[in-house]
Amino acid sequence: MKLSPDEKLDLREVLADLDRYRPRRKGWTWRKTIANHRVGAFVLADTSENLVRSVPLPAAQSFGGVDPQCDVVLTTEIASGRFEDDLRRMRMAAWHGADHIMVIRTTGQSHIDGLIEGTPEGVGGIPITRKQLRATRKALDAIEDEVGRPINFHSYVSGVAGPEIAVLFAEEGVNGAHQDPQYNALYRGINMHRSFVDAAEAKRIMADAGILQLDGAHNANATAKEAWKVTPELFVQHAINTAYSRAVGMPAELIALSTVPPTAPPAPKLRLDLPYAVALREVFHGYRFRAQQNTRYIEADMMEATVTHVLDTLISRLAGADIQSTITPDEGRNCPWHYNNVAGVNAARQTLMSADGLMELIALRTAGPLRERVRELQERAVLFLEEIVASGGYYAAVAAGHFVDSGLFPERNGDGIVRDPSAGDGAGTVIPRAADYGAPVCSHFGDNVYARPDAKACEAYGGCTLCDPSKIQYIDEVDPSDNVDQRLALPLAERAAGVLRPEVEKHGDGIVCVTVFVPASPRVAEAAALEMARRMGLRNPEVISRRLMHPAEGSVFEIKGVLDVTIRIDDLPLPVREDPLPEAEIEAWVRAREIHIVAATVGEDEHSVGLHEILDIKHGGIEKYGFHCHDLGTSVPIERLLDEAERLGARAVLISTIVTHAQVHEASMRRLDALARQRGMRPRLVLVAGGTQVNAELAAACGMDTGFGRGTTGRGVASFLVRALRAIEDT
Amino acid sequence: MPCIERPDDFESRRAHLRALSDEELHARFWQLAQEIVGPLIEEARTHTTPSIERSVLLRMGFSSTEAKALVGRMHEQRLLGHGAGRLVLELAQRQGISVRDAGVALLQGRFWEELGR
Repeated sequence: MKLSPDEKLDLREVLADLDRYRPRRKGWTWRKTIANHRVGAFVLADTSENLVRSVPLPAAQSFGGVDPQCDVVLTTEIASGRFEDDLRRMRMAAWHGADHIMVIRTTGQSHIDGLIEGTPEGVGGIPITRKQLRATRKALDAIEDEVGRPINFHSYVSGVAGPEIAVLFAEEGVNGAHQDPQYNALYRGINMHRSFVDAAEAKRIMADAGILQLDGAHNANATAKEAWKVTPELFVQHAINTAYSRAVGMPAELIALSTVPPTAPPAPKLRLDLPYAVALREVFHGYRFRAQQNTRYIEADMMEATVTHVLDTLISRLAGADIQSTITPDEGRNCPWHYNNVAGVNAARQTLMSADGLMELIALRTAGPLRERVRELQERAVLFLEEIVASGGYYAAVAAGHFVDSGLFPERNGDGIVRDPSAGDGAGTVIPRAADYGAPVCSHFGDNVYARPDAKACEAYGGCTLCDPSKIQYIDEVDPSDNVDQRLALPLAERAAGVLRPEVEKHGDGIVCVTVFVPASPRVAEAAALEMARRMGLRNPEVISRRLMHPAEGSVFEIKGVLDVTIRIDDLPLPVREDPLPEAEIEAWVRAREIHIVAATVGEDEHSVGLHEILDIKHGGIEKYGFHCHDLGTSVPIERLLDEAERLGARAVLISTIVTHAQVHEASMRRLDALARQRGMRPRLVLVAGGTQVNAELAAACGMDTGFGRGTTGRGVASFLVRALRAIEDT
Repeated sequence: MPCIERPDDFESRRAHLRALSDEELHARFWQLAQEIVGPLIEEARTHTTPSIERSVLLRMGFSSTEAKALVGRMHEQRLLGHGAGRLVLELAQRQGISVRDAGVALLQGRFWEELGR
């Protein structure tokens, strides 16, 4: 399957022949880092190979369009409930630099004792099934070819079906997975004996398949009331999962700690979070670090969330990380919208690129408060472990509520999570292996009569599915109504008919978001804002963010609602875009004539940056083609412009109206046209307006030949002038 | 068991750690962690679960629904301690049929009286 950048992902092609689809590789892939990497005008320290196709950061347009890629893997978490919609989101995220796509599972899959098949719709995530994994892996294979970098696909090996899910992931080319039996025991109410026994098998399978393991310790940050006080325990949770994984045979390079800076401003974030990050990396030297961003304290304000996430990412640069995970800035208010996945990835890469080479300039101090705090946290963690041992081991400690207590250990507030080792989902299902116990398969952990050092355990019957994938049994669908074909019927019909609707999450959901400031007290302002949204035609308007500007002067609201309109592409009045002329052609035509142009910034305006860039040879302006440009400066009256044009015999007048108020820019354009007509100059004179508030349609409506807005280049203006002047010469 | 409450007694509790170098402290950390996971690993080495057994049958070429049905019935008959994979493989060897055919026969209700003997 091959993607074309100009064409949408063909979901029918993704779903075709999945029964025969095999992943082309297994295991995790890190970025290929490059030291002293020249990218455009810069030599960068902490980068990796460039992408073949991408969308650069917005400011890149001022830096030659470069899109350097940071050295660490970037994660985005995707889950709309419909994998077929998620695939498009994955493609967008990959173009913005994400190479670790984490798929969240549907609510409740942890408690399903066995595998799910088919493609049922999920809630807050998707049901992980073989078909869904295959379709996603197939799409990601095509997307990674399109962007030119391997993409790691990731989901969860937790719940009461961990070993089966691990087999599924190994067979289907999933590259990374969360696996941490403590998560099951503490947060999912699953029996802890079952969790740990299952985990050993799952980890063995993951290790042999090269699947990178992330642990679940970060969940304590998200659960504890004061997340920074749970830090000594986080060392312990990381240690239990890490030591358990090593004992099962998982190599250190496949073990990643999932860690989150625990605070957010107005807490003194760096002072609290940096020592913790350093302390953890010292104790767990040799393991990988997946730096997650903070979700515990983000509210509905996306700007606030973004600033916190930028600071989290800065800590990754200061303390080191192998994977930078991203949280969408809207996670505090709704299920992530697809463009916010992109926003989250961009906040991380913008931060990481801005901090390129930072540790060549600075160093963390080796004495003083940082070291004292690091040592204190490590000692508190050791004391925590000592208490587990003293209380009779892990199960006894969980039963006694040692975990997720809100006190900073050894402080105890008596509010930890308490679980009974003999209770929970799957209790009583742990069975002693008999002396003749056997499992004739590869990647099996523990006592096994088929385990031999000299031969594979699956030799007796010609190989297990891990050795011979042709033995994998593929189930397509089990539910005739709840499946991807049913869900795609309408979207694909609409796509074929050229019908468009707005969306944020799922095809055609119609959701839009508007920002409304209302100058009144909060209660009145909110009611008014909702009414305004209704009058805009939004169905079910709902305030998703409210920010007080002043108790009496007003509040600003973001309101989501459904815009129930369909647009037919064929009915759209698409503006005709003319391609710019070749540079050589412009120059040849212009230099053969002595063409004078008069230009100025008009109105009560002292800004002239935009006009310089269009005229000045240094900025790639039109002078370089041989136009004789006469810039009269700023705040120039229209009359004077035309006086100069007459005196010089100019063939074009360019006016710039950059910052405007009260429609001054429109008045200036109309006046230029009217005065040129009065003086009889208009038929032979080309009039062009430019400015941030200007576009071609508006300028034409105000009597100009054309107008140029943001993103205009000298070549674009020169092309227009040549075409317009040719037309005049031809008449 | 009631959860304990106590004030932060870090300064007194840490007395025995104070003299350790950073390296010694880290070594103590890992030694304690290994001590804690030791019994957990031992339990995993000597026990199995329905999910482990289903994962074995998946690897032997059975679908998730087939594995669930087979392991469910073996669990009811208290046979899982021998290993679902072993039961199916030995049946196949005794009958001179493929592993897959042995599993399908069991799904059809045949040969159950022979298992685990």
